[in-house]
Amino acid sequence: MKKMLVLQISALIIVSGSLGGMLFFTDVYEEVHSGIVSVLCLSCLKLEPKTKTDFTFETAYGEPHPDFVLDNLSNGVVFLHYSEDACPGCDIMYPVIQNLFNFTFAKEDTVYKIFSFEDSDVAYFYTNIDHTSEEMENSFPVYDKDHISGLPMFVIITLGYEKGIIKPYYTTVYGTLGLDNDKDRIAFLTELIQESIDIYNQNREGYNQNQ
Amino acid sequence: MKFQIKRLLSQILIFFSANLGAFGFKTGFCYPFFYCNSCPAATSACPLRAIEQSVYKGSFKWRLLLFPILILGFFGVTSGRAICGWACPIGLLQRGTGKIARKLKKYPLIKKIGDHKIEPYLRYVKYFTLIGIVILTTALIGFMFTDICPVGILTGTLPTLILYPSKFVPNPFFWIALIIFILFLVLIFTIERGWCRYFCPVGAILAPFNKISFLHVSLVSIEIFEKECLHCNACSNACPMGIDVTNMNRDPECILCGKCIDVCPKKLIKFERN
Repeated sequence: MKKMLVLQISALIIVSGSLGGMLFFTDVYEEVHSGIVSVLCLSCLKLEPKTKTDFTFETAYGEPHPDFVLDNLSNGVVFLHYSEDACPGCDIMYPVIQNLFNFTFAKEDTVYKIFSFEDSDVAYFYTNIDHTSEEMENSFPVYDKDHISGLPMFVIITLGYEKGIIKPYYTTVYGTLGLDNDKDRIAFLTELIQESIDIYNQNREGYNQNQ
Repeated sequence: MKFQIKRLLSQILIFFSANLGAFGFKTGFCYPFFYCNSCPAATSACPLRAIEQSVYKGSFKWRLLLFPILILGFFGVTSGRAICGWACPIGLLQRGTGKIARKLKKYPLIKKIGDHKIEPYLRYVKYFTLIGIVILTTALIGFMFTDICPVGILTGTLPTLILYPSKFVPNPFFWIALIIFILFLVLIFTIERGWCRYFCPVGAILAPFNKISFLHVSLVSIEIFEKECLHCNACSNACPMGIDVTNMNRDPECILCGKCIDVCPKKLIKFERN
């Protein structure tokens, strides 16, 4: 009986001490909060948002566009790609994007690169939200157009005209784009980028970042 | 207040507290039971999702592995598998379906399945589910249990489809998960607490803690028990986990529901706190 009590008390001290230590000394609470509870892996949900490519001026929660987007928008279209570690949907889309831009990178990297896409510049940002900066992570909800909060997510930001002002104009697509194979996914994204570049070229002359 | 009513109130209260995300309350904890963070109202993370993230495709994030295990371990050391009987929303669901399963037990085929000689061995399947599908396939090939989880379909996918009927379409995992969900329903309607007994990976983490938990179900002293037991078998018949109560000693399957304590005519079974 005494042996059991010693075992029980030891186990309780080890478990509660380790749990308390983890909560106090590591950011595991934040990691679970931001990486699992607040952001959905769409493959875990077993659903995908219906793909809608309509562009909008309004950010998801009315927040301003991040500086890194505005800075790059002066030179061309901005393409944001959000992903996370344990996410089969992200794994499906990862090679699609690599083929689209003909460029390889590791899944946990943070990537910023300017690509020439049919003679126009496209600023590509890849963000794995499990390994990224606060600025990049904070930009994720800004462009969550359909309030899905799910990954993978792709955003294409161009310039649009509204009420006499040229300003950022974007669309967001999610998951595996509702398509069955990589060829169709690449064709879909290529068409979307081309459309964004056309809109950008129509409006770039009147764009003033500080407006 | 009757003991089983108290347990029902506890289950209902915890079900609502697990869904406070509907009011914007979200935490960074893992649930100490089986519930899906894809649920539109979820407050916390599925412990299995954290474990899967920690080992996905050969990666190793020790914090995400240890965190849910320590949370489950804390409850396990203090009260064993009481979480399954007193808190788990899937346990609450099976409490409802268990009554139907009990009635169906009158049919010879169902009784035969429940009493089959391999039934005790099927209880080890949950450990294979935990080690095989939650950990190994996730680590080796990236195939995760949560992608086909029937509890995820019930608490995450279906509520999302009901709340946002025109917003989502099924992904390739949906149809496999739906078939597993239908089998899950057949199981819990035919075998009382069938999911907890045979397949629940969270139950597999909690079960070994029954061996050392402070709170557990035990017999009064052996001498009194041997002298006074009527051998009516009411305790084993009442047990939703199908345990042979009179011969149990800190059984890993015991969910501390207290049904055996309630039905014993001689009050020879009790909760013990040491």
